[in-house]
Amino acid sequence: MRRYDLITPEGTRDFLFEECALKRIVETRTREIFKSMGYTRVITPSLEFLDVFRLNSGYFSQEELCKLTDNKGRLIAVRPDSTAPIARVVSTRLKDAELPLRLYYTQPVYHFAPSLKGKSTEINQTGIELIGSSSKMADIEVISAAFSVLTSVVQGEPVNQKVNYSLELGDVRIFRELMHKLNATPAQKEEIHSLIESKNYPALNDFLDKLGDNKITRSLRKLPTLFGGEEVFERAANVFQDERIQEILDNMKALYHTVCAINTDGKVTVDLGLVNKTDYYTGLVIKGYLEGYGEEVISGGRYDKLLDEFGYDVPAVGMAVNVDAVANVIGKKYIPVQTPADVLIVAENGCEAQAVKTAELLRAKGLSVEHFLDSENAEQYAQNRGIKKMILISKDNEKEVAING
Amino acid sequence: MDKPLRIALTKGRLEKDTVKLLEGLGYDCTAVHEKGRRLILPVPDAHMEVVLAKAADVITYVEHGVCDMGVVGKDTLMEMNGKLFELVNLGFGKCKFALATKKDYPFYDGFGVKTIASKYPNVTRAFFENKGMDVDIVKIEGSVELAPLLGLADGIVDIVETGTTLKENGLAVVEDVAQVSARLIVNTVSLKLRQQEIEAFVKKVEDYIND
Repeated sequence: MRRYDLITPEGTRDFLFEECALKRIVETRTREIFKSMGYTRVITPSLEFLDVFRLNSGYFSQEELCKLTDNKGRLIAVRPDSTAPIARVVSTRLKDAELPLRLYYTQPVYHFAPSLKGKSTEINQTGIELIGSSSKMADIEVISAAFSVLTSVVQGEPVNQKVNYSLELGDVRIFRELMHKLNATPAQKEEIHSLIESKNYPALNDFLDKLGDNKITRSLRKLPTLFGGEEVFERAANVFQDERIQEILDNMKALYHTVCAINTDGKVTVDLGLVNKTDYYTGLVIKGYLEGYGEEVISGGRYDKLLDEFGYDVPAVGMAVNVDAVANVIGKKYIPVQTPADVLIVAENGCEAQAVKTAELLRAKGLSVEHFLDSENAEQYAQNRGIKKMILISKDNEKEVAING
Repeated sequence: MDKPLRIALTKGRLEKDTVKLLEGLGYDCTAVHEKGRRLILPVPDAHMEVVLAKAADVITYVEHGVCDMGVVGKDTLMEMNGKLFELVNLGFGKCKFALATKKDYPFYDGFGVKTIASKYPNVTRAFFENKGMDVDIVKIEGSVELAPLLGLADGIVDIVETGTTLKENGLAVVEDVAQVSARLIVNTVSLKLRQQEIEAFVKKVEDYIND
C-alpha cells in the first residue's frame, strides 16, 4: 500500500514563519477594522450538513464541495462558504436577537480545485455579515468596510508601498430583470448567463442573433460592455430605456457617488455585467481587486432571500476577504522579519525551578525568553539564533552575559 | 510607471497570424521575429511584452493574471474551461471539432455504450452529455485517427481542418461538434485595473479585423 504521510493533499499547504506572519497581519488588520465597526465574531463548525448549502439552488456545484458522511450515513460538507452557515445560525439561535446583527468571521472555506491549476482547496477568509437591514446605509457600511480593508493592507505599515487596487460595484437585478422578460428556454438562458459572465461578446452576439432583434436582446448584447467609471450610467440609460432598470441604475449611481466621496485614493468602478452564475446575491454585488493577484480578493453583496430559505425572512448584506490572496500580494513587497528571543536562560543542573521563575518574571516585563536545553555551547547557540542576552543561573548566583552578534 | 501590458501568444500554428495581426496594428515585432530561444520579448514603443507559450499554458498564465491578455484557440479554451474574459473572435486559425468514425460506420445504432478516443476528453464529455449519451472516453495523445482503425474506439472527437487526414485513413465526419478559431482572452482583474489600455488595444484589434 502506498503511504502518503510526507505530503499534504493537493490544494492545501503548510504555512511557516513568514507566510504565517503575513496571514496574521492581514487577519489582524481586517479583524480590527470589523471590530471597530461594531461587529462581533462568530465561529461556525467546519462541518455542516450538506443541506445547508442548498445544492438545488445552484449556489455551489456538487464537484467543488468536499463531502463526507457522519456516523448515521448522512451527508456532510466541509464548509465551502461562511455566509450560508451564518444564515443558518441567525435563522435559528439568533432569531429573537435584536436587529441589525453585525457578525464577522475568520475561518477557512473549502472548495475542491481543479487538478494541477495552482488553485487552493483551503482558502482562509475573513468577512462580515450585516443582517436585518435593507437600507442604503447598510450597503454603504459594507462597501466602506471593504475599502478600509483594501487601504489598510496595501498602505498601512509595514508594506507602505503603492499597490493599485479598486472596488467594483454591480447589481444583479438588471440582468435578472432582462432575463425575466426574455423569451427563451431555461437552457438558452443558462447559455446567455455564462456568455455574459465571461464577457464573450462574439459568442453572445451570435447566440442572441438566433433569438431575434428586440429591446431585450439589444440590451443583453450591451450588458457585459457596461463597465468602467461614471460614464457607465449614462451609457446604460441609453441602452436600457426601462423604468424599473432606470430606478436600479439611479440608486446605484447615488451609491457610486457616495463611495467615491468616501475614498478618493482607490478606484471605484461599476460593472453591470457582473453576474456570477452561482451565487445567492439579490441586488448589490461588490468585488475588490488588488494589482498582482489574478482574481478578486474581496467578494460580497446583498442576499435578501438567503435567510428566508432557513425560515427567517430578513434582508442581509456582507462581504468576504480572501486572506491568502491579500497575504500573497503583500508578500511580494514585504517579508516579515523573524525576531529572535530577547533572552536565553542557561540553568545549571538542579536550578530548573529558579530558571522558570526568572523566565516568567522577565516575560511579565514583556521580554521573550527561551530556555537553553543542552549542557554546553550556550553562547554559540545564542550567537547562531541572534539572541543578544544570556542569563546563567547557578545555585547561588544569576549572571547576565551580553552576546556579541 | 505601470508594468508593461503582457500578452501571451500561442506558439506554432497561431503565432504567425497573431504576429501579422500585431504588425497590422502598427506594433514593431522585430524582437518576436528574431527571438532565438527567448520566451519574453519586448514590443518597443508600445509598453507591451509578448510571451510565447503553448496553447494550454496561455490560458493558465492569463487565468492567474501573470499575463494580462492572450491569443489562443477556442479548442483549448473549450477543453480547459478557465475563468477569464473572452473578448474577441480573431477569425483566423479556423477549424472545427468533429465526431468522426470509419466511413459508413453505424455510430448511433444499437444500445451498447460507445467508446470515443480524443485528445480533448472534456470537449468530448460535454458534447455527449448534452445529448444525454453515456460514452467511454479514452485519452489519446498522438494521432487519434488510429484508435478506430485499430479497433480501440467507435469514433473520435478531434480537430478537423481540411479533412484530408480523415479521408486518407478511411474515416468520415459524422457530426460537427463546434467551430473553432483564435480568441483574444483577458484576465478578469487586468481588464478592470487596466481598463483604458486594454480597451484601446481591443478596439484597435476589432477595427483591424473588421476591415
